[in-house]
Amino acid sequence: MGILSNIVKAIKGGANEMGESIVETQAVRIYEQEIREAEEAIEKAKKSLTGLKATEIALKRKLNGYEADITDYEGKALQALESGQEALAVEVAEHIAELETERDETSTEYNRLKEEVNGINRMIKKRDKTIQKNKRELEKVKTVQELQKATSSISSNIAATNSTEHRVSKALDRVKAKQARYKDEMEAGDWMAEENGTSTINSKLAAGGIGKSSQTGNSVLERLKAKQAKG
Amino acid sequence: MIANLDDLVFRLNNHTTDEGTRFDAVLSENGIIEVVCSNVSEFQINIASTETQLLSVTPLFLKSEVKPGGEAELNELLLQLSPAVPLSSIGLQGNTYILFGAMPLETSFENIVHELEVQAENTVEVLDAIEPLLV
Repeated sequence: MGILSNIVKAIKGGANEMGESIVETQAVRIYEQEIREAEEAIEKAKKSLTGLKATEIALKRKLNGYEADITDYEGKALQALESGQEALAVEVAEHIAELETERDETSTEYNRLKEEVNGINRMIKKRDKTIQKNKRELEKVKTVQELQKATSSISSNIAATNSTEHRVSKALDRVKAKQARYKDEMEAGDWMAEENGTSTINSKLAAGGIGKSSQTGNSVLERLKAKQAKG
Repeated sequence: MIANLDDLVFRLNNHTTDEGTRFDAVLSENGIIEVVCSNVSEFQINIASTETQLLSVTPLFLKSEVKPGGEAELNELLLQLSPAVPLSSIGLQGNTYILFGAMPLETSFENIVHELEVQAENTVEVLDAIEPLLV
């Protein structure tokens, strides 16, 4: 059974109230205990594994040695037979038989050890999976606990201001007003930038003698003189 | 990726998004970062952390703020809304309805900022949608 059902039990039992904690449940302690035990077992297994693996390697080397010796003596026994030294060939054959017995004994030991090493490796993997699974389960508890922590401070603030009706709606209005003002300011900023751009162009044009020339005292006097001449 | 919660606080306080959003972040005594996004300053976001994830939580309203008799309708509405809300989920923590997001601890700072901005926007949208069911 996963820890979620324990969380449900805790919630139903009112563990979400301030001051109480879901973490103090029996299930959490069991998960933590299992993690500790699994970690200890892995640690032990790894230590013995190193020794066993070394023995396994040594036995393999010994086995290879026997195989090489046997092949070597078989060749020599054949040579003895070919040269007619029957008695020597028998002696060598007996030695080969001894070597083969020793090889078989070593081989049995080697296989047993190899199986043991594999078994320990399987056990480590299994324990490791238990650790990962339990850690995931504990993460759920931790999440609920942290959510509780992260919610509680603001919740008490809300509770304190709850006397005001329409708290949410008022807060929303304030947010919207602020966002509208921000948008207006952005637009005003754009307008300002545009205006600055336009006036820069106009002043450049005026400086270049293009466009409307500004009214000056002289230009007005010229206009009046022209009017007088006509009249 | 952020180094720790202090680092996140420091970087949030010195950051302005492309949209001009700024953050006011404080690390509280109980290890929670309290963040106010300038675009939605009325609704604070709290950031908590576990061994694997960052949790961003915005308390929305209390059970007691739901119109009398409207709780079932509100709960169903929120369950239907939740899948449609990007990056955030809606939940109930004790007596408080919350909007929350979860990110792996390895999340880059830029993505954390993005998540916070979106969560702030989601808060306003969700509340706007269900506001008629609140007192």
